[in-house]
Amino acid sequence: MSTTCSQRQTPTRHLGAKRANTLKAERRPSIMSNVLRPYLAAVRSTLTAALTLENFSSQVVERHNKPEIEAGGSKEVLLNPLIISRNENERVLIEPSVNSIRLSIKIKQADEIERILCHKFTRFMMQRAENFIVLRRKPVQGYDISFLITNTHSETMLKHKIVDFIIQFMEEVDKEISEMKLSLNARARTVAESYLTAFNA
Amino acid sequence: MPPSVFSLSQTPVTCHSFDANRQQLAVSFNSNDAQILTRKGNEWTATETLAEHDKTITSIDWAPNSNRIVTSSQDRNAYVWQQTPDPETGALIWKPTLVLLRINRAATHVRWSPKEDKFAVASGARAIAVCSFDPENNWWVSKHLKKPIRSTVLAVDWHPNNVLLAAGSADMKARVFSAYIKEVDEKPAPSVWGSRLPFNVLCGEYSSPAGGWVHAVSFSPSGDVLAFASHDSSISIVYPGGPVIHNIKMSSLPFVTLTWTAEDSVVAAGHDCQPTVFSGSDAGWQAVGTLDDSKSSSSARSGFGSSPVGRLNSTAFNTFRDADTRGQASAGASGGDTKVLTIHQNTITSVRPYEGQPGQVTKVSTTGVDGNLVIWDVNEVASLAAQFGGIHLK
Amino acid sequence: MDNAFRKIDIDAFDEDVLQESELYEPDPRDPAQVLDESKQRQVAVRGALAKGDIRGALAISLENAPFGPNVEEAKTLTLQTILSILNSTKSTEVSAVVKALTQDEQDTLMKYLYKGMAMPGWGDISGSVLLGWHEKLTEVAGTGCIVRTMTDRRTV
Repeated sequence: MSTTCSQRQTPTRHLGAKRANTLKAERRPSIMSNVLRPYLAAVRSTLTAALTLENFSSQVVERHNKPEIEAGGSKEVLLNPLIISRNENERVLIEPSVNSIRLSIKIKQADEIERILCHKFTRFMMQRAENFIVLRRKPVQGYDISFLITNTHSETMLKHKIVDFIIQFMEEVDKEISEMKLSLNARARTVAESYLTAFNA
Repeated sequence: MPPSVFSLSQTPVTCHSFDANRQQLAVSFNSNDAQILTRKGNEWTATETLAEHDKTITSIDWAPNSNRIVTSSQDRNAYVWQQTPDPETGALIWKPTLVLLRINRAATHVRWSPKEDKFAVASGARAIAVCSFDPENNWWVSKHLKKPIRSTVLAVDWHPNNVLLAAGSADMKARVFSAYIKEVDEKPAPSVWGSRLPFNVLCGEYSSPAGGWVHAVSFSPSGDVLAFASHDSSISIVYPGGPVIHNIKMSSLPFVTLTWTAEDSVVAAGHDCQPTVFSGSDAGWQAVGTLDDSKSSSSARSGFGSSPVGRLNSTAFNTFRDADTRGQASAGASGGDTKVLTIHQNTITSVRPYEGQPGQVTKVSTTGVDGNLVIWDVNEVASLAAQFGGIHLK
Repeated sequence: MDNAFRKIDIDAFDEDVLQESELYEPDPRDPAQVLDESKQRQVAVRGALAKGDIRGALAISLENAPFGPNVEEAKTLTLQTILSILNSTKSTEVSAVVKALTQDEQDTLMKYLYKGMAMPGWGDISGSVLLGWHEKLTEVAGTGCIVRTMTDRRTV
């Protein structure tokens, strides 16, 4: 008797939990974006200001043309790096130079699960960096993911579209990770329940 | 008259230079070759390709009187091109002459002197090569201006007296040098920049208070005033007597090129995608407006800006704001905002006089990363007032 | 065998290379004097804040901001002073205050906003306050102001 009861109960409870989750997920972006907006606006304006690139041939190596922010050979063509932060756990580093900029993001990681998810997620992206064109294969130390935008990118793509892409990425990545966390928790609950039902009899 | 727009290519136009009667145009489309375009009605068609460089061409200058073209490139070379009859067909073709630059880094900028007997090549070798013709050997030889340049020279411009040379460089300085070459030049008359002018004398060194690479330099038509644009979004006008420097800071993105249209007027353009007009005298200078009036004719926009690149009022920004304040989804609206509101769709990389005499330029031409050539009437200045509401001019 | 010489960055020994310190004019003032001035300003700012004069307080604190090496203490003090002004300003007043600043003051304020954001969790830094000011300041002073923060080597 108790078995059937619990079996009957499980799906409803599960559904209920799921509904609560979806509700949470729906409400969350709007709350988040309210707090997020000035942060993203600051990143947007700083990135726009930094994306004033030109073709610049290396003055260290003959007949080479390399992103100066990565080469770092000439101090005078690098500009002051700027950091935009919401708090200790969420910040963006923008390092501008004459022909390239590097943008690094520290993604919010509230707990161990988010840390693991974030690591897996950024790793997945960075292994496929060539498909994202502006993505760097390795993040700058202290950050989770980095982008390298050169003058060639700003010549072949619309500048404000590059900015949009970065901002959209920042919006999405938080959402993505919290969604993954929710579905991970939901799945863990289901697994645990169906495992524990075996002992329920 | 509204500005005339010619779409030359889908790729960036690195630089452009017209011939004397504005029927032909030398351009480089961000490649190793330069193209000669000839005007047919409202079209520019490629008639010849100048192929000799093996790295990106950085600058082109067409001498109007002697009808010679000089090109510089990141391959460390410069070539002087002259029209000569083809031995077989007799048709005129452009023939290159190598210039002995003796620099070991990229050549970044090149300009003929006013008398067209010399030209200056800026370079990444922390030097400027001043080149003159050596008839004995039938080639161009160079002398180097080195001290006290500490970084890549980004731009050069000649004084009307054919001797003084202004240079802007990545070490954040604009400098005025003497490029006097004994074999070519007569002794120059004393000017505000100095009276004794042997080669490589530094007549002045200026920088903008907030620093920034000097992208463009230009002497006024009389040669007594120097203007330069630096990466801190400002232009500076230098009167060497004091020296008095008027620094005009802008709220938009940096300028990378500028030209004088009259003794009291400068047109500057750059990352903001629209040419801006400055005017003033030794008492003070200010931004008076933009030549790009396109946003007033386009749909009325609220807020504080016009061009989405330079300012924050882009369509994407609005979409984003809508998403925040009204909860509108951003997915549907992101399709149609690929157009920038200015005529140039990307950074303007060069602005040059098109019509009129030095001191009374009536039209200027611009080319940019968007591949467009635009010819502007310099008297059609649209007000910047709306955009600069909160700015205090010093 | 010693291979360390292979890793020497020979470009750093090029005497033509520009050093960081050559990129701007050094501050002519003595570090002790700079610190003294910062302390005086802090007192003056408290006075102005007590009267509710935010515009005045900002003007005092943004004048002759310390820059360059050897003045870390003065820099920290000035940042603290400015943060106390920023934190005590009502968000509805920010726009008006920013508009009233001169262009030089706007540029300096922008530098301090970025400096504050670069050290989250330090002192009484609040990310949302700084971001709020940043937004208002960008509306008034434009992207040019941000570009100047990047180009100006006289870092605060």
